[in-house]
Amino acid sequence: MDHEQDYVIEMLHITKEFPGIKANDDITLQLRRGEIHALLGENGAGKSTLMSVLFGLYQPDQGEIRKDGKPVKINNPNDATALHIGMVHQHFKLIDVFTVLDNIILGAEDTKFGFVQRKEARKKVEELSRRYGLAVDLDAKVEDITVGMQQRVEILKMLYRDNEVLIFDEPTAVLTPQEITELMQIMKGLVKEGKSILFISHKLNEIMEVSDRVTVLRKGRYIGTVVTAETTAPELSRMMVGHDVQLVVDKAPAQPGDVVLSVRDLHVPSKLYKHDAVKGVSFDVRAGEIVCIAGIDGNGQTELVFGLTGLEKCSAGTIQMCGQDITHAPIRKRSEAGISHIPEDRHKHGLVLDFSLEQNLVLQTFEELRFQSMGFIRFGEVRKYAERLIEQYDVRSGQGPLTVARSMSGGNQQKAIIAREIDRDLPLIIAVQPTRGLDVGAIENIHRQIVAQRDAGKAVLLVSLELDEVMNLSDRILVMYEGEIVGELDPKKTTVEELGLYMAGAKRQEHAEGVRA
Amino acid sequence: MKKESFWSKPGTRSVLASLVAILIGMLAGGIVILIVGLTNPSLGIKGAWEGIRLVVAGLFATGRDATGALTFGFNPVTFGNMLFRAVPLIMTGLSVALGNKAGLFNIGAPGQYLAGTAASLYIALSVPTNVIPSWLVWLLALLCGMMAGAIWGAIPGMLKAFLNINEVLACIMTNWIAANLVTWFFEGSNLKNVLEGTKSGYIYKTATVMNDIVADGVASTVGANVPEGATIVATRGGIATSKLGLDRLFAGSQVNGGIVIAILLAIVIYVLLSRTTMGYQLKACGANRYAARYAGIQDRRNIVLTMALAGSLAGAGAALYWLSGNTEFFWSTYQSLPSEGFNGIPVALLAINNPIGVIFSATFMSMLSVCGQKLTELTAFNEYITDVIISVIVYLSAFMLVIKTWISRLHKGKAVNK
Repeated sequence: MDHEQDYVIEMLHITKEFPGIKANDDITLQLRRGEIHALLGENGAGKSTLMSVLFGLYQPDQGEIRKDGKPVKINNPNDATALHIGMVHQHFKLIDVFTVLDNIILGAEDTKFGFVQRKEARKKVEELSRRYGLAVDLDAKVEDITVGMQQRVEILKMLYRDNEVLIFDEPTAVLTPQEITELMQIMKGLVKEGKSILFISHKLNEIMEVSDRVTVLRKGRYIGTVVTAETTAPELSRMMVGHDVQLVVDKAPAQPGDVVLSVRDLHVPSKLYKHDAVKGVSFDVRAGEIVCIAGIDGNGQTELVFGLTGLEKCSAGTIQMCGQDITHAPIRKRSEAGISHIPEDRHKHGLVLDFSLEQNLVLQTFEELRFQSMGFIRFGEVRKYAERLIEQYDVRSGQGPLTVARSMSGGNQQKAIIAREIDRDLPLIIAVQPTRGLDVGAIENIHRQIVAQRDAGKAVLLVSLELDEVMNLSDRILVMYEGEIVGELDPKKTTVEELGLYMAGAKRQEHAEGVRA
Repeated sequence: MKKESFWSKPGTRSVLASLVAILIGMLAGGIVILIVGLTNPSLGIKGAWEGIRLVVAGLFATGRDATGALTFGFNPVTFGNMLFRAVPLIMTGLSVALGNKAGLFNIGAPGQYLAGTAASLYIALSVPTNVIPSWLVWLLALLCGMMAGAIWGAIPGMLKAFLNINEVLACIMTNWIAANLVTWFFEGSNLKNVLEGTKSGYIYKTATVMNDIVADGVASTVGANVPEGATIVATRGGIATSKLGLDRLFAGSQVNGGIVIAILLAIVIYVLLSRTTMGYQLKACGANRYAARYAGIQDRRNIVLTMALAGSLAGAGAALYWLSGNTEFFWSTYQSLPSEGFNGIPVALLAINNPIGVIFSATFMSMLSVCGQKLTELTAFNEYITDVIISVIVYLSAFMLVIKTWISRLHKGKAVNK
């Protein structure tokens, strides 16, 4: 690298290890003065850890941070602020009932005799607002203004503190397309005024549009830094995803049968924001095929599954299960109509951690006549059933059926859930990130089970963030981006790079519906 | 599979933890007695020693002999009274324990207890026993007491289930609503004791026999002695829980069949929680509401159901206490809530929410209050000393987990030494 360059921040050979995982492995990131530098990587690639190190939330095990060429030690966020490093978090840190002005000066108020000097502060903020084209209403309460304006308030907060290095952590996740365009303009304006920006994102089109250079991380490792003008979105996608060892699953071509699940124009509200998280999704899943919903985390997959399984009410659209309309059916009815559900969060939804393994294995079925008579649980039957599942699905635990679920390993907890859901022998299996956090052996086992279920004529809807899993397991891929299905791909005919483009919103098919004539 | 040793079983540890809490509570009480005794010249070390003996073994105190020394032995009166007073505590303890098992903190037991009080007293004192046999009136009063408690419990349950209002808040408010409603209800009723002139402010005992008569064209209510020439319109009252022979075992005490019913109900709740699909659902909702919902269990229905059941238990506690026949209800309750309701919380805590354990912890609490009574009867100490013990135990109940960890550490230490 040339040393002539004027670097405002240098993070050299940063290594940060957590128990069991190297979150950052020898990562170097150099930010030039007056540039927009994008940091690209999948979930879990180590972007957040690296920024936390820069912000003083973590101490690196190895490596050095330099500010203006001089080594510095950042022990906590206050040190970072003193070095004029500021951050706009993905979820804004504003006080809803305070005015915009009060939010901006909070923590950096000038006082005279203990009184806040609002007049001078207002003058300074108004001046900044004009200079950088950040229109805000200083007297409005934060709860009354739009998300876009809230973000401008966050930016003003950084400018008020005379920060030179501005970190934007996935700033577009919560914005509308218009607001995104506006933000891009603001960012360009900021660097023109001499600020330097670190822009964390996994949306390729935004990075291509706004950044000067891109540093790519993958699985905690540094992949490379490229000049944006000299690269292309597919190239970045390849760098981000990589060609790692792929777990190959033996499977014959799918033999799709009748439509099992049919979804039309489904809308599901978001828990976090006021708009819908799923915006008019339509697709079919047939018996004997594995349909995979691919996408970057937070593009509506979780809400889609909640809508399908009844954990969240759908705001519009229809869901049909084997021809039966279940759009408004309660969870138990959907389960009876034929949906089994391997949930995304196995501790929150999948298991009652303080219950024993056998109690967990009958979580949905305890009211069936084989497990109860006259309202009394048939403990003998439950035990026999649990012992069979434990044997058949190789669930390992300290005390067999009586093991408290909490004390089991993550892999065996997941095996128990999968055993329970598969053994109910229902026509549709919805599996959400079924292999998350598991070791290679467990992943292989679960993949084989899912394929076996497909071959037995089940319809499988798989939601996964792992590209390897998506490519290997699915018979059909539906890509979700910002609550919509933007593409239907055949895993045999597509490439990881192309998939990456769809996932990052850089490419979309018109009328991608996932519905086959 | 390795068989667990007796000491490493979680059940054993829980019981041990409770016993440790009780022991420390007793010790604290002892220290207070010692301090009070030593600083008070009329008591001295001798008085303190007597006080400590009474706190520990007050149940067996029989009085003082000719030399003025305390005597101990089996005392059927105190024993019977302990059992009698345990009844409402068992019921409110069950009420709180059931809520806890389902993840709901039922601090509304006092209100539910009051609702049960009003309903059962009203039925017992108003339904004419010359028309309906008194045993049926008794049963009706008990059932109505339970029903009123259930309704009073279901209100915060519904607020929680449908409007997501914290049950603790709703319970505290409904407690005071109940206190005022009950006062207002009895103020307007004709159940205030006017036959016994000294009993102003009290409702009739349910055992009181009242006759509504018409004499010389004037209607009035008299006691058991009906004046000559009067026509009896209706006979009311005369309701009392059957003694079931317990009065012979504990002669001279207030004990009655209520204790048997309370123990039976505790067993019913135990079976409900541990052996039925309903108990399974309640516990699933309590342990992980999200997983329960995921599995298709209707968590809202379960919340209402749990609170109604818990309320009915507290209501039954009230009915069993007031229907004994000899208890008198001071109807002006709007300034204070019945302590039986709140004491259900330490009872349940001490029993670690086990319905069978509740029988023992409630009996223990009631023993402490009997000891307190003996303390005032036989020495210059007052009964509030036992409140100190109870409050220390309540504090320690909150530290139960810490105590459990100590025990398991001790046990582990021993295992290593071997």
